[in-house]
Amino acid sequence: MHVSCLQQNLSRALAIVGRAVATRSNLPVLQNVKISTEDGMLVLTGTNLDIAITTRIGAQVETEGEITIPARLLSDFVNSLPDDRIEIKSVVEPLSVSLDCQRFSANINGTDPEEFPPIPTVDEGATIKVDPQLLKDTVTHVAFAAATEDSRPVLTGIKVEVNQSDFTFAAADGFRLAVYEGKLLEPISEAMEFIIPAKALQEVGRLIGTGDTAVEFTVTPAGTHALFNIGNVEIVSQLMPGSFPNFRSLIPAEYKNRVIVQNSDFSRAVKTSSIFARDGSGILRIQIVNDEDGGKLSISSRAEEVGDNQGEIDGVVEGDVDEESRIAFNNKYLAEVLDVLGEGEVSFEITSASSPGVVRATGKEGYTHVVMPMFVQW
Amino acid sequence: MHADFDAFYAAVEQRDFPELRNRPIVVGGSPSRRGVVASASYESRKFGIKSAMPMSTALKKCPETVVVSPRFVVYREVSRQVMEVFRDITPLVEPLSLDEAYLDVTHLIANNISPPQIARNLKQKVWSKLGLTISVGVASSKSVAKIASSINKPDGLTIVRPGGEIPFLYPLPVEVLWGIGPKTSAKLHLLSIDTVQDLASQPMEILSGIFGSNATHIKEISNGIDTTAVITQRERKSISSETTLLVDTSDAEDLNEIVMRLSGDVAESLLKKNMRGRTVKLKLKRSDFTVVTRQKTISEKVQISSEIAEPALELLNLELENSHEKYRLIGVGVSGFATSENLQDEMQLRFEGL
Repeated sequence: MHVSCLQQNLSRALAIVGRAVATRSNLPVLQNVKISTEDGMLVLTGTNLDIAITTRIGAQVETEGEITIPARLLSDFVNSLPDDRIEIKSVVEPLSVSLDCQRFSANINGTDPEEFPPIPTVDEGATIKVDPQLLKDTVTHVAFAAATEDSRPVLTGIKVEVNQSDFTFAAADGFRLAVYEGKLLEPISEAMEFIIPAKALQEVGRLIGTGDTAVEFTVTPAGTHALFNIGNVEIVSQLMPGSFPNFRSLIPAEYKNRVIVQNSDFSRAVKTSSIFARDGSGILRIQIVNDEDGGKLSISSRAEEVGDNQGEIDGVVEGDVDEESRIAFNNKYLAEVLDVLGEGEVSFEITSASSPGVVRATGKEGYTHVVMPMFVQW
Repeated sequence: MHADFDAFYAAVEQRDFPELRNRPIVVGGSPSRRGVVASASYESRKFGIKSAMPMSTALKKCPETVVVSPRFVVYREVSRQVMEVFRDITPLVEPLSLDEAYLDVTHLIANNISPPQIARNLKQKVWSKLGLTISVGVASSKSVAKIASSINKPDGLTIVRPGGEIPFLYPLPVEVLWGIGPKTSAKLHLLSIDTVQDLASQPMEILSGIFGSNATHIKEISNGIDTTAVITQRERKSISSETTLLVDTSDAEDLNEIVMRLSGDVAESLLKKNMRGRTVKLKLKRSDFTVVTRQKTISEKVQISSEIAEPALELLNLELENSHEKYRLIGVGVSGFATSENLQDEMQLRFEGL
């Protein structure tokens, strides 16, 4: 192999595939990046067996070839080089590559690309096209609700359903559920559904970045892998076996009270109260008030033997308000959802102190977040 | 509130096998192998068959009785389902055995739902979801509720309003009180103590003679006084995880990694049980089998993996600094939990079925 490319491009490509390179593994070759040539492009691939990321950069290919070399070493070296043309040549004995850039050079020992695990290919099945920023938004709004401990492995995944022109992404741990519904760019004829590890989908979101090229994804006919095409980056992820719980049945069909508040106010009140909630099992008590001064949410917390606090924010209240228009949540669950919702109006719906609360955002009609309350003595 | 199945095993069998319905049946071991009756249907009880009676005696009393072998796996599953139904009504459920539990419904009553409503709703839910009947007792304390559920079986509902405890208890035979078994009751009858009232009116000296240190408690419950709370979780002293190493090591990096992994295991158990502890403990067994334990108490209760790992690693590294020993076993544990009372004051609710 003999190719040359720009330092900047190579550095960026290494950063992208580096997300999939295994940092610790029983299989040393997984700490390597595979470099090969294809149609006048330089192709880089990293995998930790859960996901594989491949990207292509423009290069001048003198002779074709492929090799794997330690990813960390290569990217550290390339990142330190000046922004100029890098010449890469593979050496057969000992198996290695030489890199030259201006007056810097290096030799890095490599391994036979045959040892590198084959990356699953997905060339059958319907291709689904989604707006990249919508998909990124979906991932941000859903993935954090997935379980992180794997006492129920299926809950560490995100359920994806695609039906004609709509998609639904849903994640839940035992205590909260996030669902995002959106439109595909082009309708598809077959419905499909799968469960993808939340971590893999978070990588997809990260790879989209500020990109504006439509993201395309495909699932293998056997339902074992999904492939996402993001510009000139491809990510292949294992899919998860098992069946996801019926999340739709967890979404309350109605509410007793709804309050519309500015998220900036609500987030601040939750953050303030969380300072005291830290010591008291994270309990935030929320009381809905509707009196002559208008609607309000009162958020309070207390820490035994330390102190307590209360904050109040204005809101538009719907439904009959009484003593029972109150609910308690773990501050973390509330803070995390408000955090992803960003600026704008938030709707907060409750039914009773022991039934789930719902958080939605104006302008994000497809998004529903359900949180189970904490049972507390009032 | 106390909820209790009526002839649990037998009722499950009659539910699952229609041919057994309306017939005297008993669940238990075979008569030829000196089995005993584990559960007798109400039809067989008419013949005087009771639980714990030798199977041969039961068959003598009623030769038509059908003897069914127990299916404990099924009973356990039904029990799990019914506890779920109970938890639909209130998260504060204290299971006593497979087929009975205390439910604290104080907050529902405070919300203006009447006790008969709660109890009927529960009975109806159990019937519609499981096809089984329960007897329910509602009262201001656990001990009175349990007695109330037992006096009107099967499919009973007895409500003892606050203030009505003494009129309710006094005429009942002493055997209804928990803690009075056949031997004690025989003794009491010799002293002409037959009803709860007889017992309640005894001077403490006599009661102490019979019940020893338990006398005060007996005196209280015979007057309907019982302040024990419904305990949703039996208190656990500590939760820990330990591992024996394949090869003894003194390698700090390896040991750190194991401590992190064990912290994760402990966190998982804590999370499942919704518990938090204040004390993190590290246990190390050296190659010479001497055991060292180090513990640290933190101001905030810990539950998640990183919160446990931090003090555990600190203890480990402190230990490693002053030692060149090799270690063969490592354990990480958390104790100093919130008391059970605190636990039921605050509880993160879960989605049903997730």
